[in-house]
Amino acid sequence: MRSFKDHNPISVFVFYIFAIVPAMFCINPVLMCVSLAGAVSFRLAKDGVGALKKMLPFFAFPVLGVVINPLFVHKGVTPLFILNNNPVTLEAVLFGLTLGIMICSTVIWFSSFNSIMTTDKLLYVFGSVSPKIALILSMTLRYIPLYGQQIKKVRQAQTVTGLYKEDNAIDKIRGGLRIMSVMVSWALENGIITADSMAARGYGAGRRSRFAIFGWRKADVALLVLCAALGVITAACMGIGRLAFEWYPEIVSPGASAPAITAYIAYALLCAIPTVLQIKEEARWRSLQSGI
Amino acid sequence: MEILTVRDLSFKYSLGREDAVSGISFGVEEGAFVAVCGPTGCGKSTLLRMLKKELIPMGDMRGEVLLDGVPLSEIDVRTSASAVGFVMQRPEHQIVTDKVWHELAFGLENLGMPQDVIRRRVSEIAAYFDIEDWFEKDVSELSGGQKQLLNLASIMVMQPRLLILDEPTSQLDPIAASDFIATVRKLNTDMGLTVIMVEHRLQEVIPAASRLLVMDKGRLLHYGPTRQVCEEVSDRPDLLAAMPSTVRLFKIMDGEGECPLTISEGRRWAESFGNDVQPDFAQMDEQGGAPDGKQETGAADRKHGGDTNSGASVESVPDSDVPAMEFDDVWFRYGRDLHDVLRGTTLSVKQGEIFCILGGNGSGKTTCLGAAAGLNKPYSGTVKVFGKNVRDYRNQSLYRNCLTMLPQDVQTIFLKNTVREELKDAGESAGKLPYDIDSLMDKHPYDLSGGEQQLVALAKVLASEPKLLLLDEPTKGIDTYSSERISGILKDLRDSGMTIVIVTHDVEFAARTADRCAMFFRGEVTSVDEPRAFFSENNFYTTAVNRMTRGLFKGCVTLEDAVYALRLQKQPAGKDG
Repeated sequence: MRSFKDHNPISVFVFYIFAIVPAMFCINPVLMCVSLAGAVSFRLAKDGVGALKKMLPFFAFPVLGVVINPLFVHKGVTPLFILNNNPVTLEAVLFGLTLGIMICSTVIWFSSFNSIMTTDKLLYVFGSVSPKIALILSMTLRYIPLYGQQIKKVRQAQTVTGLYKEDNAIDKIRGGLRIMSVMVSWALENGIITADSMAARGYGAGRRSRFAIFGWRKADVALLVLCAALGVITAACMGIGRLAFEWYPEIVSPGASAPAITAYIAYALLCAIPTVLQIKEEARWRSLQSGI
Repeated sequence: MEILTVRDLSFKYSLGREDAVSGISFGVEEGAFVAVCGPTGCGKSTLLRMLKKELIPMGDMRGEVLLDGVPLSEIDVRTSASAVGFVMQRPEHQIVTDKVWHELAFGLENLGMPQDVIRRRVSEIAAYFDIEDWFEKDVSELSGGQKQLLNLASIMVMQPRLLILDEPTSQLDPIAASDFIATVRKLNTDMGLTVIMVEHRLQEVIPAASRLLVMDKGRLLHYGPTRQVCEEVSDRPDLLAAMPSTVRLFKIMDGEGECPLTISEGRRWAESFGNDVQPDFAQMDEQGGAPDGKQETGAADRKHGGDTNSGASVESVPDSDVPAMEFDDVWFRYGRDLHDVLRGTTLSVKQGEIFCILGGNGSGKTTCLGAAAGLNKPYSGTVKVFGKNVRDYRNQSLYRNCLTMLPQDVQTIFLKNTVREELKDAGESAGKLPYDIDSLMDKHPYDLSGGEQQLVALAKVLASEPKLLLLDEPTKGIDTYSSERISGILKDLRDSGMTIVIVTHDVEFAARTADRCAMFFRGEVTSVDEPRAFFSENNFYTTAVNRMTRGLFKGCVTLEDAVYALRLQKQPAGKDG
């Protein structure tokens, strides 16, 4: 079954951009809370109640925001109490809280992003820019583990041949240089084979095309269009309606203007997409499964 | 019709003094399977590269190569990239991308094929090569055999008409190698694909090949139908050493009639001698090998050519009650949550013997060697080297004049630009070595053949004057002639008092070299015996000669055994004096 994570990576990537980025530039408590609700509910839908335990540490951010911001920022017109001859103001507390929620929701979004967007999906997204970039990224990912393995083998080989001392720091530095030197000639010599192998398969024969195992189905396009539309509406309304709060010296909210309400609704719908898709697919799967 | 025509082809490398390939002409019919053989450095690889436009090295090329009657130089880039496929030795380094599916698509991407064409071809080839299960894997997770199959598949996806393979199985274990050769053979018979293949493992390739091409010193010596060339091939030991055991035996015995190529043909031929006299191999061992049989094992080691007796060498080291290496119920795994690799391994290696550990892939052989060398720390059980727990050797004292290990990939120990500097780095002087590598002194270690690399690496590790030498697959990627040379050298080292433990897949090598053999299975030693008993008890995991003479002669394992046994049946006049 195709749940949110199985959609074309570009659609998924676009969703995350619109869910995370606009909110980061607009410290608005309503948007922050919507974002947090969306992020948490998706993790719960995706990974079950057990995810709650994993997310718990992230909730330290709002708490830290509430505690730390007022300690350093003394602006604001509503002092709550005096600490060390400095006023602790309501504005600073609320700003700290909102900022903490923003960080918290961003981190939780990223935690699901990490588990969904594996390297091959990211590669696909960034490789869409050009087939050359796609190839370079792919080769880089190929060489990192390859070199890592070889370095380990070389280190072990150097140890067990018993030719070199490893008594003190200088010996160890020498050993490191020796491994470097082995690796350089190894990489150059074997790089020639890779170059031959590429030439033998027509690399450089003309314009490259690009093959990907991720295709486009109707649902992928629909998801992409929906995310982009909601995201653009949110961003546009933010621009028109000045959704950002003024925090100091006095909190000034943008109020319930038409652009603000539109933005809140659009953003709430956007943030709800992954959770809704997840729950819908699970329900559908359960009903299908009962028919198998 | 001829798909490939080579006319009077010569080539000289831009820095070379002589022609690497000189005056070669031959033609290949569509659908043929051509096996190419010849001693190391005879110009085989250079010849193959001349046939693939993109891989022609820098230098002076004369003569013509025609593909379907069109000179290579006139074929456009895109056609030539897909029409001729080329598979090389090292599977690891021919892979370009990080994912199996991407590697399959790589060639088609280069040609700018549209998505849906690539999708169709890639899925088709993945199904044919049965790689659907690992289609989405990272290439770094694949075994060597899988990597080489992937290389083949990602060339076949371009639908070549001619497939060229340059020692494709040299880095693979025998089982993966057979699989690979079987796949190539299937492509040849199923698709009518024309194949040109250089191989050391002629035992498996020759039955598949329709034609055999023998080269030496850049020249073409023989080219023709396989059986005919096998019969013609000269008596030069280095050329003959590359031939399958059946052909070698036939030649040594001056056989008449049709030369046997496969094991079953060899068996029929051996049966024609009858088995009226059962050979007494113990007696043969005492005499030091079969009369006249030794010349065929190569010039490397005449003294010990036939010595497979385990008793003699042990007696020569009197104070050898302490085992050189001892495993007692050793358990090891690579990570807490991974599975056990060594599962109660128990074994004991006597001082002054050559001990071969055989077994399948992933049975834990190499891990076992790593545990002896102190690289892998077992979580239970003890590993002792010369009676002392490996853990108690402090500050690398284990590696000083005691134990040394030559890893499987000898490129991991090459540091310098010439062999001479390499030996100097190790503090080894060539004069002290029990063998001669003077001719290699000024070469770059990477330019040497597999066998030569092994000898240089061995020279390097011998500098620490070990008493216990551990070798991991010393014959991987090496032709039979070099392998016999190494075998002789190891026996010389053994006779000078060194204990040698070898992990190998190469049953022929183990049968020739070992004093005792052990079978490793699922992290345990399942049987230990001296090679004659070991290999005659095994049915599958045994030498070609043993498979050929099973039921005829008891305990006949090596080529020499077979020569000895057959000579007893029929004594040609004037041969044994």
